[in-house]
Amino acid sequence: MSSQEILNRIESIILEIVTSLSKAEAPVLALPNRSSWANVRYFDLNMLQSVTTIRSDCPSSVTKFAQILKILSVIYRLVQSNSYATKRDIYYNNTKLFGSQKAVDSIVDDISCMLKVPRRSLHVLATSKGLISGDLCYMEEDGTRIDCNSSSTVNIVSSAKFVMIIEKDATFQRLLDDDFCTKLSPCIIITGKGVPDVNSRLMVKRLWDELHIPIFALVDADPHGIEIMCIYKYGSVAMSFEAHSLTVPSVMWLGLLPSDLQRLRVPKDALIPLTKRDESKLCSLLERPYLTSQPEWEKEMKLMQQNKVKAEIQSLTAIAPDFLTQIYLPNKLRYGGWI
Amino acid sequence: MLKEMQQVLRLLMLMGKQRQKLCLRTGGGLLLLLWTDTGVSTQKLNCTVNCTVAAAGPWCAGIQMEALQPVLASLKESMFPCVWPCNEPDPEELSAFTDLYGSLRLLLSFQVKDTRHCTSEWQAHIEAFLRTFSLANAGIQIHLKLKINGETSLRELSVKFKRRVALADQLLLTLDVTCSAPPPWCVKKGCWCVRGHPAIGGRLPLSIPPQTMEQGLFGDLSVQVVALLTPCLLPYPNVTTELTHIQNPSNIPVNGPSGFFQKLPAVLDCQELGLDRLYCSSFKDLVYSGGTVYTVEKDSWDDPEQESSLPTVQQSLLLFFFLQHSDPFTSQLTDLMATEVLIELHLEDILNNNRQAVVAAVQTELKNTLKSQNHRKKQQEKLHAAAEVILSSSMSIVSSSSSMDFRNACLNRMKVCVCQVHDTHELAASLRESLWRVTSWKFVPRAKCFSTKMEVHPVHDEPTTAEI
Repeated sequence: MSSQEILNRIESIILEIVTSLSKAEAPVLALPNRSSWANVRYFDLNMLQSVTTIRSDCPSSVTKFAQILKILSVIYRLVQSNSYATKRDIYYNNTKLFGSQKAVDSIVDDISCMLKVPRRSLHVLATSKGLISGDLCYMEEDGTRIDCNSSSTVNIVSSAKFVMIIEKDATFQRLLDDDFCTKLSPCIIITGKGVPDVNSRLMVKRLWDELHIPIFALVDADPHGIEIMCIYKYGSVAMSFEAHSLTVPSVMWLGLLPSDLQRLRVPKDALIPLTKRDESKLCSLLERPYLTSQPEWEKEMKLMQQNKVKAEIQSLTAIAPDFLTQIYLPNKLRYGGWI
Repeated sequence: MLKEMQQVLRLLMLMGKQRQKLCLRTGGGLLLLLWTDTGVSTQKLNCTVNCTVAAAGPWCAGIQMEALQPVLASLKESMFPCVWPCNEPDPEELSAFTDLYGSLRLLLSFQVKDTRHCTSEWQAHIEAFLRTFSLANAGIQIHLKLKINGETSLRELSVKFKRRVALADQLLLTLDVTCSAPPPWCVKKGCWCVRGHPAIGGRLPLSIPPQTMEQGLFGDLSVQVVALLTPCLLPYPNVTTELTHIQNPSNIPVNGPSGFFQKLPAVLDCQELGLDRLYCSSFKDLVYSGGTVYTVEKDSWDDPEQESSLPTVQQSLLLFFFLQHSDPFTSQLTDLMATEVLIELHLEDILNNNRQAVVAAVQTELKNTLKSQNHRKKQQEKLHAAAEVILSSSMSIVSSSSSMDFRNACLNRMKVCVCQVHDTHELAASLRESLWRVTSWKFVPRAKCFSTKMEVHPVHDEPTTAEI
């Protein structure tokens, strides 16, 4: 979408506000509801939503109305001048109005959804969060060559055989320490450090689009880990409007599977009972519209529900300190232990 | 004269109270006819005034004039020492009244000598007294006819909006809840609540001081406070209100300046109430206005710019003090009259004897009223602060847009409701004014503000002073 189109969309919102005031009516903003799965339909990976209204004459919502207008004016200026700002910049420019970084983050996503444009088109950048390492080099527009082997869009080059998404930073670091990316087949490992931000998801999507190599997920055997994996694969409810550009439906669940716990006889003291919250989340996951196309995932989740226990990837150290990188992952990758 | 009129009205109300349990009907008329005899000048310092009190209608149904005569005779010595018999009034004077309300249930005529000050000020006092009476007896239409020095004046004290409330012991009162404050200019027709909504406080038992008991006052005495805040702004939740006056009429008249009520502002916790200054207005000018009047003022060092920009409606609070007495050994009308006179005479002592409890009751009512006021102010400040951001953000986009179509569309839209808007500066001013009006004067219709029928409410009625 062109910058002018974005400016036009913002102008149309302002014109609606002016029109309301000219008729002595309180202006309202219509925001898509991004907080409930009930408002999402899964149809060929596209997700649709209902709207809620934010009123300017109601004390409980007028502050949010003002915040939205403020950020719209900032975005307008950024797009017009072709400059960029981070969400953090926006927050710190008016901390009193916004109150918290979270408020800014949420409103930027609301505006992205309202204008039906990707957040990156609004010239608002996220603060970096995810990490990537492995057999990957890419060149940025200005000619800068990024070699992910050494550390820490355009012309991605890689001989990696697969990409592995890792839920936690701790596990990511462990694999780096054990030189995992070079010992087994050349690969790329990436982590969003928990729930991934948009950039991390974009990176995974980009890798899939460019390299078309298997994408595996290594997450804890608990509802939270499964949810994180589903975000990479199917998208989040908050960003469901951008699912087509952020999701990788081909993501496969490598581990830690609930059935692995029984198969490997993970010591019982390394297992944790499911809490009520876990059970509730598990139920919610089982009701997700996309799960019907993943019977094996469903089976694993029901096993977890039945056994009422969960485990972190770190529980494998109870079998042996280097069990994860020496035995578990190599065997899984060699013998197709993914679903 | 006022004393005598008061005694007659007291008699009528006591009789009404006795019959209330049998009959819930209220309404009817009360005629007070005051005249001087033809040819007698009232220019002299002392003059003689004839007074006729006539009552008709459902509120006095059941009164038997023949049965009343012995009561009046026994009361005359103690209650009406300055009263003399006088000629009956001209029947023509009464015919218009009976045409309206039916046959007379009560007709009392008496003459008061040594009545001073037959002046317009005196007449205004009588009218004010009757208005106060009407506050808690709104079902009775009062007609005051004065024929003094050949000049005739007729006043009809009718109440536009009434509401019946039930106090403790099933005592029913018909309150005048009319709000006479005109609506602000920006309020649409039919969207202004013209009545107040009484909030009934709890019943507070009062202990009778020993010296009053020695005078013969026994039994149970209590007071119940009913608060009435006007004008009602429930349909306008975003408007800021400002309490400017408090008035506290009571069903037992307060004779002369009351030390208790005059000192009340000093003993109230104004800091808890968020009041800067509360002081007692001059009693002299207000003694016949019904109770003591207090003025509420704010300190001027609040942000004057913000204060002036927030739409504010001034409100007055009526705090009715309803004293109720019951004594199983007192049932005769003469005894009831004597008891009421005792309470009136010793009211100051009674209030002082229960100072802490009464002050606490008043504090609670004021706190409820001002809680809603403070809440509104916070809401308005939030709206005001947000409005500035909305306007500046919108204008930033309009001003920096390179699209002539968009800019012209914005300018043309606002040209519809105001005079020519030529540039963004005028557009900003128009948008500000419109946004202020639609947000501050947001109208939320409430059933109880626009219902036409009169309701009866029990003791646990929802208080309007605690608007949440």
